[in-house]
Amino acid sequence: MTEAKVRVDAVMGEIERDVRARLRRHLLKKGGAADYQDEEIFAAVHALLARAIDARNLDATLLPELVDGDIDWRLQTHLTLTTHRPGVGRFILFAKKKLLLPLTRWLFEYSQDNFRRQDHLNRILFACIEELALENARLRRDLQRQ
Amino acid sequence: MKLACVVHRFGADIAGGSEGHCRLIAEHLAAQHDVTILTTCAKDHITWSNHYPAGESRVGLVPPKRGEREGGLRVLRFRVARERDMRRFMDLSDLVAADRATAEEQEHWFRENGPDAPELLAHLRQHGAEYDRVLFWAYRYAEVYFGLPLVGERAILVPTAEEDPLIHVDMLDRFFAQPKGFLFLTPEEEALVAARAPAGTPSAVIGSGLDPAPAAVDLSPLDPLGLVDPFVLYLGRVDPNKGCAALIRHFVRYVETGKTVQLVMAGPASMPIPDHPLIRPLGFVDDGVREALLRKARALIMPSPYESLSMVLLEAWNHGLPALVNARCKVLRGQVERANGGLHYGNAVEFIAGLDYLLEHREVAQQLGRQGLAYVDREYRWPTVVGKIEALLART
Repeated sequence: MTEAKVRVDAVMGEIERDVRARLRRHLLKKGGAADYQDEEIFAAVHALLARAIDARNLDATLLPELVDGDIDWRLQTHLTLTTHRPGVGRFILFAKKKLLLPLTRWLFEYSQDNFRRQDHLNRILFACIEELALENARLRRDLQRQ
Repeated sequence: MKLACVVHRFGADIAGGSEGHCRLIAEHLAAQHDVTILTTCAKDHITWSNHYPAGESRVGLVPPKRGEREGGLRVLRFRVARERDMRRFMDLSDLVAADRATAEEQEHWFRENGPDAPELLAHLRQHGAEYDRVLFWAYRYAEVYFGLPLVGERAILVPTAEEDPLIHVDMLDRFFAQPKGFLFLTPEEEALVAARAPAGTPSAVIGSGLDPAPAAVDLSPLDPLGLVDPFVLYLGRVDPNKGCAALIRHFVRYVETGKTVQLVMAGPASMPIPDHPLIRPLGFVDDGVREALLRKARALIMPSPYESLSMVLLEAWNHGLPALVNARCKVLRGQVERANGGLHYGNAVEFIAGLDYLLEHREVAQQLGRQGLAYVDREYRWPTVVGKIEALLART
């Protein structure tokens, strides 16, 4: 196999550096955090958040496990129709499924899409918090060892 | 060998990824083996409604073998008993995606996904032992999930797995333990599935084969389309699940910076495409237009977040076209990095920068395209691909 004349990782490194610089300038111009004047700080924050978004498995984070106690934090994006009334409940359920649901389906589907987005965003935010907590824990450990 | 290929739908006019892959592999295996396609009468992948007549037919361009009067692949079609109930399916999909489905609900998901073809399963049960090997395409479909265990000791699975929520369901541990061997499309797919299969299960990463593109391509089919030069190309189903909504959003942001490149979207649309002077939807295009687009475009854009193998990407490289792909899809990113055949982006800002780079650095872009072609020559020519499959058939 011959060596590639143009290496994707090298080009991407150049592009990503350029993107970070542009992003930093853009945020500063819009009144973003003054700490971003410092390129190193911006690069560190960018790397941490990018790691949370790109490298973490959003289905395997700690915070949702801890929150999952008395309240159900997850957005329920599917619709379940049930009844607690014996007898007449079956007719109410039938009316809901066959009459009411078809009429309001468009609203449900519209909301469902937005719920899905919010659910995804929640999981990204959990991952970001976990990444910060991990970094904090590592720094504490390093400090204690010194 | 007597081989059966099981796939959810089959036909020369069916463009789906795993269906097309099955057809190409089957056609090439038919040169050396006795191949039968076992499939359904469905053409529509949403409803699975019966379209083709049930029973035996011949499909494709395989030349007749000695002693046979007809060419083409032998196809046995079985009727779909029940069309898909999309509402029930979507509700179950939400449960699976949220990792809340019980084992029973997970299994129910496969049943609801369909196609529900009980006669196909009965054929496998009664005649499965008559085949030396039974190759199954795409684990997510009902006839594979329920059919493969019926012939597990002679089954080869082509999972076409993507990194979506379904791949993490618990029921698949048991399922992936059953095939005698695996044929994977990429190393990323292999990593995703092989970790859940018993250690030492024979497998091969085959991708898919391509014939070399013609040296000269007739560009005249593009004349009546009135395309702007330069243009970048999206080729495939225009669908939000393929990342097209994000692609359009990113592209509009890009041209708002004052650029005049056109985005040509060639493929049937299942979502609205905004009326924008620099976005040109073409709908379904024939092979002549497709070839000409691939030859004339400045770059291919692949925005899909989930892929098990991008055939379109390989086709683009076959024409020496560089690509800009969604980095959140590990398979696409892996393909581009292995080939050194394009760039990747993770968000809108990176999309804009990557596209700008490919358009502004023409020589580098062309070199990336040439490197992509060299990668296809190395890994994806038919003799290489068929050789890997034959080796696996011999080992299982």
